Amino acid sequence: MTVGYICRYTPVKLLESMGVECRRIEPGYIDNEVAEALMHPNVCTYVKGVLSEVVRGGYDGIILVNCCDSARRLYDVLKNAKKDMMVYMLDLPRKSGDQAVAVYTGEIKKFVQAFADFYSKEFNVQDFKKYISIEKNAEQNNRPKMRKGISLAIMGARCSAYLVDLIKKAGADEVLNYTCTGDLLEYPPLFDKSAREQEMIEWYAGCLMRSIPCMRMADIDRRRDVLKDIMANVNGIVYHTIKFCEFYSYEYSYIKDNYHFPILKIETDFTSDSEGQLMTRVSAFVESLRGRDEIRKTLRKSGKKIVAGVDSGSLSTDVVILDEDYNILSYSVMPTGASIVESADRAFSQAIEKAGISRDDISFVVSTGYGRINIPFADKQVTEITCHGKGAYFLNNGVRTIIDIGGQDSKVIRLDDNGNVVDFVMNDRCSAGTGRFLEVMAKALEIPLEKMGEEAQKATEDINITSICTVFAESEVISLIAQNKKRADIVKGLHNSVASKTIGLLDRIGRKGAYMMTGGVAKNRGVVEAIEQKIGEKVYVPEEPQIAGALGAAILALQE
Amino acid sequence: MRWIKKSVNDPEKVRKLVVWGLMAEHVFFSLFGDKHVPKSFNYLNKIGVEFVLSPLVHSDQSAWVNLFAPTEILHAMDIYPLCIEAFSSFLVGFQCEDVYIDYAQRFGISDTLCSYHKGFIGAALTDLLPKPKFMITSSMLCDANISTFRYLSWYHHVPMYSIDVPFEYSSQSVSYLEGQLREMVKMLEQVTGKKMDEDKLKEVIKRENKTHAYMNRYIDVLRYKCHPTTLTLEMYMLFVTHTFMGTQQTLRFFEILMDEMESFPDSKAKRVFWVHIVPFYPHGLKRYFNYSQHYEVLGLDLNFDYLEEMDCDNPYRALAIKMILNHGNGPYQRKIGSIMNIIDRLQPDGVIHFCQWGCKQSVGGMMLLKQMLDERGIPFLALDGDGADRRNHHEGQVNTRLEAFLEMIGKRERCL
Repeated sequence: MTVGYICRYTPVKLLESMGVECRRIEPGYIDNEVAEALMHPNVCTYVKGVLSEVVRGGYDGIILVNCCDSARRLYDVLKNAKKDMMVYMLDLPRKSGDQAVAVYTGEIKKFVQAFADFYSKEFNVQDFKKYISIEKNAEQNNRPKMRKGISLAIMGARCSAYLVDLIKKAGADEVLNYTCTGDLLEYPPLFDKSAREQEMIEWYAGCLMRSIPCMRMADIDRRRDVLKDIMANVNGIVYHTIKFCEFYSYEYSYIKDNYHFPILKIETDFTSDSEGQLMTRVSAFVESLRGRDEIRKTLRKSGKKIVAGVDSGSLSTDVVILDEDYNILSYSVMPTGASIVESADRAFSQAIEKAGISRDDISFVVSTGYGRINIPFADKQVTEITCHGKGAYFLNNGVRTIIDIGGQDSKVIRLDDNGNVVDFVMNDRCSAGTGRFLEVMAKALEIPLEKMGEEAQKATEDINITSICTVFAESEVISLIAQNKKRADIVKGLHNSVASKTIGLLDRIGRKGAYMMTGGVAKNRGVVEAIEQKIGEKVYVPEEPQIAGALGAAILALQE
Repeated sequence: MRWIKKSVNDPEKVRKLVVWGLMAEHVFFSLFGDKHVPKSFNYLNKIGVEFVLSPLVHSDQSAWVNLFAPTEILHAMDIYPLCIEAFSSFLVGFQCEDVYIDYAQRFGISDTLCSYHKGFIGAALTDLLPKPKFMITSSMLCDANISTFRYLSWYHHVPMYSIDVPFEYSSQSVSYLEGQLREMVKMLEQVTGKKMDEDKLKEVIKRENKTHAYMNRYIDVLRYKCHPTTLTLEMYMLFVTHTFMGTQQTLRFFEILMDEMESFPDSKAKRVFWVHIVPFYPHGLKRYFNYSQHYEVLGLDLNFDYLEEMDCDNPYRALAIKMILNHGNGPYQRKIGSIMNIIDRLQPDGVIHFCQWGCKQSVGGMMLLKQMLDERGIPFLALDGDGADRRNHHEGQVNTRLEAFLEMIGKRERCL
């Protein structure tokens, strides 16, 4: 029989010693139809995934712990929906003192009894002792090993095996999982071999409750001690949060505020959606950790005279062709459309044609952007973070902060005096404050995207677009249209909304001039002005703001 | 309001503006009041303002608490509680919640966190609020409680106590909780230098019992009588049913209310029972429910979450039992049972469940409540929104849903 569980405080080993297969539920998808019919869109995405998976079937029982609000309601909903199997929830105290351990011991005993009754199984303390001894020996092999290359710790909310793999694929040599799904947090002490059932369960409850606490627990001082150890042993931390789970944002804020240690915050819905964006961010983070010197070393190779950079973005594909003296021979900007490969081909051909050369003249191609791994003719892939930094610094070496608002994401990149990327932030999955946001709104307002900047100049009234989310903002815009508000005023309100979102992002890494704005949205004078007004400083916009990434890629190609 | 927004970086100035604003409101409700609502509700408005003002003015004798903290202990020790959810509501009243919420988010606090917490965190981080002497939170109902208080306690270096409220009722869980309350009192004594007089705590519990008795009578009378009120006042009721339960002022409020209630006319309105908090600012909601003779909000379930007689001779144990058996603690079926009980007593025409942004514990079980109400043939409406951040409220969408619901339960045409 197979029992599903979600929390590491679940007395799994006790069940396993009874011959029960315990499977930690790692949902790969969310069935929104099920999740929203039984719960609500705004519960934790992991819990929605678990609900989807359990409803689909494959489990003989579900053992939960009242770890969070969403899990508690998952219990209530499953209990009501799955009457044919055991749905049980253990009441786990948040403290770990003797009285709390006694309470949890009582809970576990009650659970074992209920489980044994429901499935006609027997708990035998000798079997449990035997099982624990075998398990303990196996665990010795799971400790952190010697550090080699770039070593990253993943902290925060539970992470899936998929996420660990993604971080490895993004270039990390070693990934240590310090979330509750990793096995790096438990250090069970020895037990007394003559212990009887009550003492053994008490011992086990103590082991569970006194391991390194998760953020749901009340006393988390030990997490802070562990944090120091982690920082001493890795190059950087990938801090994971799950949508609609807030426990961990507090710890992220604490680390960011108190330590100057490389940390990258990522938010997922626990499934494998948005892989492209995650990969870009983690790869850029790894690249920044490797250090510019090392990158230079690997890039240095003798080359011929002409190179190209291709930036395959979500809305446009841009190509820049450079000669060995860093002269831009030509560039092209094409809509990406449905096929990354085709649009890259078209943009590349157009740029070659403009430069009056043939494909064979190009000795090296670096691709960047969302689609960078799928450009068949590229020799190397580099993330757009590094490329934007490179391109922007080339265009104006006084720039220390780059604000790049593209079709699908917006980012702020901080450069040091030598043009190296030293920090960056990027929006999460949602498209608020990006080119896509403006595109949706332009459609709602029936105005061409490129005319928005001009239209905003005619504004006479201040309208505050308060919704942060693209979907909600669209309905807000529709309400404003219904209220007969002037289009110019709404457009200006939208520009201010994008600027606010951008400033929020900027303030996460701090303000430092001079500023440059790149990406398609930089062509919208209204947004640039709104940002300038908010930061009280001029923002430099290059002649063709969309090609900064491709230019950076071409410069990197030249250095090969 | 604009002054506050413009002065976020000058917390002293904002604090003065807030205190002056509250004092002006206090004077207004002491001298004049709102002519459209009964005397008792004007008194409630006056004491509500006092409750927020006192900890701001006497911060050296104040403690930050959440809505479900056992403040009876603080009342017995003459410590002023500042309820964080209440303060966030006042930020909404001052129309400046957005700047504080954004401030918290810039510090890395998740945007999906409950806005009542985000607003308060922002206000605390900007130093708008004077540092308290102590902080108390209970774990019940909401995950954010312990996290937010721990974060603020670190940030301000102010001692705090987290009360872990078990999910299930048992003699062991009651003892575990009682032990924590006693430990917390010792800590409070050390930090504040004040001594707990257990007789005073017993007095507080006695007043609480009297209040519970009044509240039970109130429910019985409410079934028939019209009580012209506002959404804001329904939220103010949380002061007297939670943070200031057991105080003289609370008892006084219910005394005046019950004196008046008998003389109110019988209600002819369509009546709605409200589950979870109610946002007090949306125009559509105010238009239908404030002072209305045609549609009435009978009350929020949160205001009736524990109405039992408490053992005043064992005050710590009584408080522990009260917390564990609060209808929002434990399995959702307990909450459904309690709501159905009140509904049986009040006989509303429909139930509205408000899905507060970030509140997983309430929205997660909503469909179970709907299922139960459907079985009983009681109309149900779910409204999504945010009581503490206007930006998450969508007037058009809420109005459409609300009006359709009111059409469904009838009488809409009379209101227009």
